[in-house]
Amino acid sequence: MGPLVALLVMGAALSFAARDFLTGDNLANVARQAAVIAILAVAETIVIIGGGIDLSVGSLTALTGVTAAVLMSSGTPMAIAAACLAGILCGLACGATSGLLTAYGRMPSFIATLGMMGIARGVAFVVTAGQNVTLPAAFPEFAAAEALGVPVPALVAAVVAVAAHILLSRTVPGRHTYAIGGNAEAARLSGIPVKRVVTILFALSGLLSGIAGLVLTSRLTIGQPTAGQGYELDAIAAAVIGGASLMGGQGTVPGTVVGAAIIGVLRNGLNLLNVEVFWQQVAIGVIIIAAVFFDQFRRRR
Amino acid sequence: MRRIIAACLLLLMPILLCGCAREQKIRIAVVPKGVAFDFWRTVRAGAEKAGSELGVTVIWKGPTDERDVAGQIAMLEDFITSKVDAIVMAACDAKALVAIVNKAREAGIPLITIDSGVDDKSVPFIATDNIEGARIAAQTLVRLIGGKGKVGLIPFLRGAATSDMREKGFLDEIKKRPGVQVARKLYSESETAKGMAVTEDMLTSVPDLAGIFAANEPGAIGAAQVIEERRLAGKVKLVAFDAADSEIAALKKGTIQALIVQNPFKMGYEGVKAAVSAIRGGHVPLYTDTGVTVVTRANLNAPEVQTLLAKPGKE
Repeated sequence: MGPLVALLVMGAALSFAARDFLTGDNLANVARQAAVIAILAVAETIVIIGGGIDLSVGSLTALTGVTAAVLMSSGTPMAIAAACLAGILCGLACGATSGLLTAYGRMPSFIATLGMMGIARGVAFVVTAGQNVTLPAAFPEFAAAEALGVPVPALVAAVVAVAAHILLSRTVPGRHTYAIGGNAEAARLSGIPVKRVVTILFALSGLLSGIAGLVLTSRLTIGQPTAGQGYELDAIAAAVIGGASLMGGQGTVPGTVVGAAIIGVLRNGLNLLNVEVFWQQVAIGVIIIAAVFFDQFRRRR
Repeated sequence: MRRIIAACLLLLMPILLCGCAREQKIRIAVVPKGVAFDFWRTVRAGAEKAGSELGVTVIWKGPTDERDVAGQIAMLEDFITSKVDAIVMAACDAKALVAIVNKAREAGIPLITIDSGVDDKSVPFIATDNIEGARIAAQTLVRLIGGKGKVGLIPFLRGAATSDMREKGFLDEIKKRPGVQVARKLYSESETAKGMAVTEDMLTSVPDLAGIFAANEPGAIGAAQVIEERRLAGKVKLVAFDAADSEIAALKKGTIQALIVQNPFKMGYEGVKAAVSAIRGGHVPLYTDTGVTVVTRANLNAPEVQTLLAKPGKE
């Protein structure tokens, strides 16, 4: 509730302050700009609810994006489709590896995914020899396109969010995720296959990072090994603003989507109002702290 | 709940206020690749000088990280949305920014590129001829090392037009000199720390390195720091692009032997002038070379060099 009210208040204030804020074009821009972070934030939410953290989502975005970019160079529709699939599978494999290391290797997920973050970024540079990869002309059109008046990246984010929401709130594995994040030992004693579920959570996070990588690459119109730098922190911020607890067991996908929207709207609004970029970073930091502060305050009462 | 709303409103107050105070002058957005280095501050000074001379508002905003292509795209989209009258930009990536150029064109907003252009030759471009500048750098370095020996090259970012052109100009010129070989080529990624690391690696792996060319400020500062630490000043000749305060200090100290100085002030100045001219329907040439000057300890105090090095806005 809190984050949604904050988003609406921000939106209302911005529509007064910046006359171009509440236009169809601009809202489409915000949706396009925030889509990648929203997808990564959903991935992060899944892992955080299960009691972990995934630092590799930003690097995986770059790795999966350049992998797809390199593979689709021939430009035929078949090649593009196959390259997209390969990119997503690459994300899935990396995520599953982090999951196995966390669940069966008994590593803190912070460490396993910190390692994966470095590996993925490094491999992205290796695959591209550090150079940006040119895309076939058809691929960037996908991020620029609109369907039903909504930018395609935002639609992708919406589909991802709805699927993740159903998974977490309406299915048995979803309930297991909350149980594991709440108390892993209790979950294990009640017969939940903790290790398997945790592995799957990280694999899902990797898969969603792959989808985000495709969206970002299409939007950038190049495969860029340096893309997605620091996105993991934006994703974590969005999840936290949306009510997820880094202690695990708490958080919702709708909350996270609102969190991602708050970050997106704030960046866009501050751009429209011509606020210096340095202050934008300060503002986002303040919002994160304020969100968690009020949340704690509310809980205590 | 009421407290939350109150707090949000309080946070947004300054935003509301500055939104109301918007003026009606011609607004020109100037979007550099980064905001952290002296080079961009001098571009800004030039842009603002032209702005005040021509009576237009210059809005200065760029990504904090030169690799943040997505961030630069978002900023430009937002400038197009807020209907600025013209855009002057230095592209973080020559290909990725082409889509934005088209968007600006569709919106009827004139766009001028400075320093780093885009892969669309119909867009006016105001910059140093980087190939020519790097060629001059190579000639200077070859002269300094006495016409023979091994040299190292520190470009900054593969794929960034400026870096690629400086690399090409330098390598082309060295190829013409049979006595000189490029022993190492390592990228600084526009980070001083990386610049230091690659210089250390160069000096370790090629002990008889005679000279280094650093293609921009962070690489140069990194190289200068390592050369000084290893007490190699003057033994390993260092030629670098740009003229940040720290580079000039290193030149005075003797760690750097020659600086290839561009004219960023002129880029900002001419960029805004061209933008105003485009808004008013005037002619804007497709290419303007702002030139380079070789600055050494010998000519550092010459009046024309001092004018070039002056950093307006920094007393």
